[in-house]
Order: sequence, then C-alpha cells, then structure tokens
Amino acid sequence: MIYADRNTRVIVQGATGNQGSFHIGRMNQYAQSVGGFGVVAGVTPGKGGQESGGVPVYNSVQEAAEAHDATASVMFVPGAAAGDSIMEAADAGLDLVIAITEHIPVHDVMKACAYAEMRDCTVIGPNCPGLLCPGEISMGIMPSHLYTRGPVGVISRSGTLTYEVVHELTRAGIGQSSVVGIGGDPVIGQTFADVLGRFSEDPQTKAVVLLGELGGNLEEEGARMADLPVVVFIAGTTAPPEKRMGHAGAIVSGGEGDAKSKIQRLKSLGIPVASRLSEIPGLIKEMV
Amino acid sequence: MKLLEYEAKEILKEAGIPVPKGILIRAGDDAGAGAAQIGELVIVKAQVDVGGRGKAGGILMADSSTVQEVSDRLLGSRIKDVPVHAVLVEERIAIEHEYYLSISIDRSSGSPLILFTSSGGVEIEEVARTNPDAIRRAVVDPLLTDVPGYTIRYLLNGAPKELGPVINKLYHVFRCRDALLAEINPLVTTPSGVCAADAKIIIDDNALTRQGISENRDLTDRERKAEEFGFSFVELDGSIGVIGNGAGLTMATVDLITVLGGKPANFLDVGGGADRVRVAHAVRLLGSMPGVSVIIVNLLGGITRCDEVAAGIIEAGVSQQVIVRLAGTNEEEGRNMLNKYGYRMLDTMEEAVAAAVEVAR
Repeated sequence: MIYADRNTRVIVQGATGNQGSFHIGRMNQYAQSVGGFGVVAGVTPGKGGQESGGVPVYNSVQEAAEAHDATASVMFVPGAAAGDSIMEAADAGLDLVIAITEHIPVHDVMKACAYAEMRDCTVIGPNCPGLLCPGEISMGIMPSHLYTRGPVGVISRSGTLTYEVVHELTRAGIGQSSVVGIGGDPVIGQTFADVLGRFSEDPQTKAVVLLGELGGNLEEEGARMADLPVVVFIAGTTAPPEKRMGHAGAIVSGGEGDAKSKIQRLKSLGIPVASRLSEIPGLIKEMV
Repeated sequence: MKLLEYEAKEILKEAGIPVPKGILIRAGDDAGAGAAQIGELVIVKAQVDVGGRGKAGGILMADSSTVQEVSDRLLGSRIKDVPVHAVLVEERIAIEHEYYLSISIDRSSGSPLILFTSSGGVEIEEVARTNPDAIRRAVVDPLLTDVPGYTIRYLLNGAPKELGPVINKLYHVFRCRDALLAEINPLVTTPSGVCAADAKIIIDDNALTRQGISENRDLTDRERKAEEFGFSFVELDGSIGVIGNGAGLTMATVDLITVLGGKPANFLDVGGGADRVRVAHAVRLLGSMPGVSVIIVNLLGGITRCDEVAAGIIEAGVSQQVIVRLAGTNEEEGRNMLNKYGYRMLDTMEEAVAAAVEVAR
C-alpha cells in the first residue's frame, strides 16, 4: 500500500455536510471490516462539539488532529473555501490531504498546493475520488465492494472510469495494491509521476494502470520515468478542441494535450496503450 | 469564459496598463460622433471571439468621414460565422516595435507561466515553430504577489525597461481576475510610450461567481440548460446520444462509440448521485436533439442509485430507443423496473455501445 494504511488516523474536513457525514460512515464501515482506525474525527468551523457519522466534530484541524493523533485528512469542503482548508491542514502539521471537492478556483489550488509543499504536506486531488488500498484503508468515495487485494496499482484522473477498470480487473481475477484518484483539474497535487514513484518503492505493486485523459502532458511525464511495467488508457480521443469535457482539466487548448497525439507520444516511448477499457486486464495479466 | 477585446482592455486600463484611446459602438450608435473624440485616423475592430480576426476581415481602417459606413458594414456582418454585435473604434497608433506577453497556467509545475518575446504581432504558436529561441519562459511561485525583478530582467532579455512594469501589472490582473490566460499581443512601443494594442483574457469558470459574472457566455443554449440541471454537456454532431456518470467514463463511452464505427451526438455527464429528476432531464434533453436516433445510458453507480436512474429513464419516455447499462447500488431493482417497460439492458459497457452503434446503422 502507499500513502496510508490501516494504522492511519484520518480526519474529515467538511464533516457535517451531506457528503461528509455519509462518507465518514462508509469509510468507517470499511475500516471496521479490515481492522483499521479509519476516520477518528471531523472538522467543520462553528460546529465543534457536534457529532457527524458517529465521530466527534471540532472547529479546527489543529484541535481535531491533536485530540486524536490524526495525520491525514479527507476534504469535502465546498469549492470557494477548499483552498483555505488545504492550507489549514498543512499548517496543522498533517502529512496527507485528499481533496475530493470539485470546482475549486484554479488559482486557489495553485496557492494551496505550493503552500502545502513548503510544509511537507502531500496533496492528492482536488476533484478526485480519493485513495483505496484494498485490505488496508479507504480514504474517499470509491465503492469498496468492487476492489480486491493484489499486485496492480491504479492511478487515474477520473472517478467512475477508475471504478469501471477496477471492476474489470477484479472480474478477471486481478487484485489491486492501491488505487489513487489524482483528480481531473488542470492543477493537482500528486501527479502520475509522483504516484509512480511511490508505487516503485512498494513491494506489493508489480504493475500499474494509468488512466489518463486529454489535456496537459502529465501522463507522458509519468510513464516516461516509470520503472514498473505500465499500461495506459487515454480518454477523450473524440473531444472537440477548446471544449471542456466535464473535468476542468480535460480540455485541448492552444493545440496542446489532445488525446490522439498523447497516445502517439506514449506509443513512441514503447508504452502499451489500450484502445478500449476491456483490453486492460489482458495487457496487465502478461505483466504480473 | 473568454472576454472580448474591449472588456479585456478595460481591465488592463484599470490595472494601469496603457491601451489605445477607443470607443465601443453598437448598432444604431453614432460612430461619427464617437470617433470625433478619438482622432482623424481610426481602426475599426469587430468584437468577436475568433482567431485570425484581421485576416478574416474583422479589422478595417477608416477616417472620420468613413467611420460610420465602415462600422455599419462590420456590424451587419459575420466573421468566421460569428455575428458582430459591437465594434471597437480606436485611434491609430504609431507602432515602433511589437512584442508578445502572456501569462497562463503551467500544468506541469502548477504555477503561473509568463511568456515574452520581442517577435510579437503574429500568433505565438507561429513563433514557437519558426524561432523557438526567441521566446523566453518563466514560472512564478504562485504564492508571490509580484513578479521578482530578476525574472522580469530574464524575460525582457534586453527589450526596453519600460516593458517591465507591464509584466508585473499583467501578473496582478492574472491573479486578481482568476484568469486562465492573460495575453497582450501585440504589446507595442510607440513614440509616446508602451501600449497594449490587442488583449485576450480567459476567466476560470470555477471563479465566475466571485468575479461577479452571473452567466457563462461561452455555452450554447443547450449547454447552458444542461448546466442549470447540474450536468456537463458538450454537443457533437453524430446520431448516438450518450449519458454517463463521471467525466472519464462518459468520455470513454463516447470514444468507444467512435472505435466501434458509430457517431456520438454529445457528451453528457449527469454527475455523481444523480436522482430520478436529473436523469429524466438528461434523457429528455437528448430526446429533443434533432438527429439523435438512439440513446445509450451507461451508469456505474457508486453513490448513484440504479433504481432512481431507471425511474428517470421511464419518466422521460422519449421516442428514441434507449439502451441501458447499469451497475452498482440497487442494480436489481433498477433492472426489474426497466424490464417491465421493455427497455433493452446489457451487462457491459462494450455490449451496450455495440448495440447502440448497431441501432444507429
């Protein structure tokens, strides 16, 4: 597993909203099933003293982290305040923040990620489904019943696409070591390259699936430096230029980042690219 | 959202970057009286968001006697099929040299990226192809509120010092206006100082509210309607309507249609946790699109409940055939409901897409 395990104590920022309270419950169901700590506290400014999803709520990350020895956070705070919340978590000394929130202004993301980096706090996301290490921990909103433990790492810019591929892998009898949603925004904390670096130090992981999409060139940057075998899928080959395909980061702009040229560049690096999702289990099976 | 030239120039002017003297003219306005305040020789620029506007006939020369006629001619026309609703009448400036300056977001470093070159006036992609060494690039730490002096000296590379403050002021605009792009091309020197002869600003759609912008003009009517319902929607030109949940899975569905020889009509991501009402709106929206002969619904429910999705599809009751692939929470209930109404359901995404492509043929 990478980033976290069953011994990680997690707080949830934005704990009292619908999303927050619902997912605290789900994450702790998973923690219970694997014998982990899971979510130990929540944070919502002004709601300190309440309870949400069965855990106590505090006014600040500092208070919650100190009271419960927490080192990581999953964040559901709405877009306008989310950048601030990432900085708060970094300032409170947390090692890891997973930002689920979509629609954060990109200038806020740039500032928050730069600030967190200065304080040695790792940011995953924003606009991501989180992290799931089967048998260890669920930090986010992934449907855990689709996952099984095994040797394959998955890194993805998209939520449901990840579930689809994990579903296919599980049905083909291929388990996963850790599944990381890095987010669909133009600026993100951990990139494909960062997560691949973690996977290469993880003895459990033997091969990695990269699920990318149009926009930017982080897939090529990551795949180029991978020292584990990888299979790549790139979504968005039919996207028209200058149109945003759902994700803020899924856009071809100034003629850069279109899916087809991305696939061409990956292939020219000798990296296997699946043209359909259904090809992924077959390609990965040869590697593990 | 893209701002038009005159809007971008108003912002630059407020930030202390000189722009040519100008006046905005709409249909029915007295262009002659307006131009009189500006000077004898003027330039008339169509306010449309199209690249290569000058070459397409959107920028015309005029003088005080012809400005009305030239303005009227542009106002009634279309530039690259975009109707001209306003023109900007500007003084003609005596250009000594043209530079290029832009600030955008570098996705690799997650930081603002400044580009500057002394070869301005043409498209930057053109300079990048023909003379890449002429472009200076610098990223700025997003936590800095000003561009450091050494960065400005590096960017200018011997260009006149008076351009330095423009770089810093444009950086302020970029930050304060939540811009994805702030571009001045050309940035010119004249006998009376520096001046932004053309300008382009794109605002982050996720920051429109705090920038006081209530409506995103870049969307088509159907796309705007879709946004009101809470889904992401892009029109394409094929015959197979697509509804998915999650941007990546929906994109992959659209792609697979093309791989299997079909033509997708759209991209529609209903978003996480879509309920009956939202699904019904989505199905009806596609049902109303001329040219859509079949609709595929591909949903993998994490927090989305399959019974809600099924109820939405049934409620919409569109005339086109709807092919469904549902997996996840309450899958059984959803399937039973759809079965009762005779909807076609398939187990995997690939089977469902193949079936839709077949029907469209």
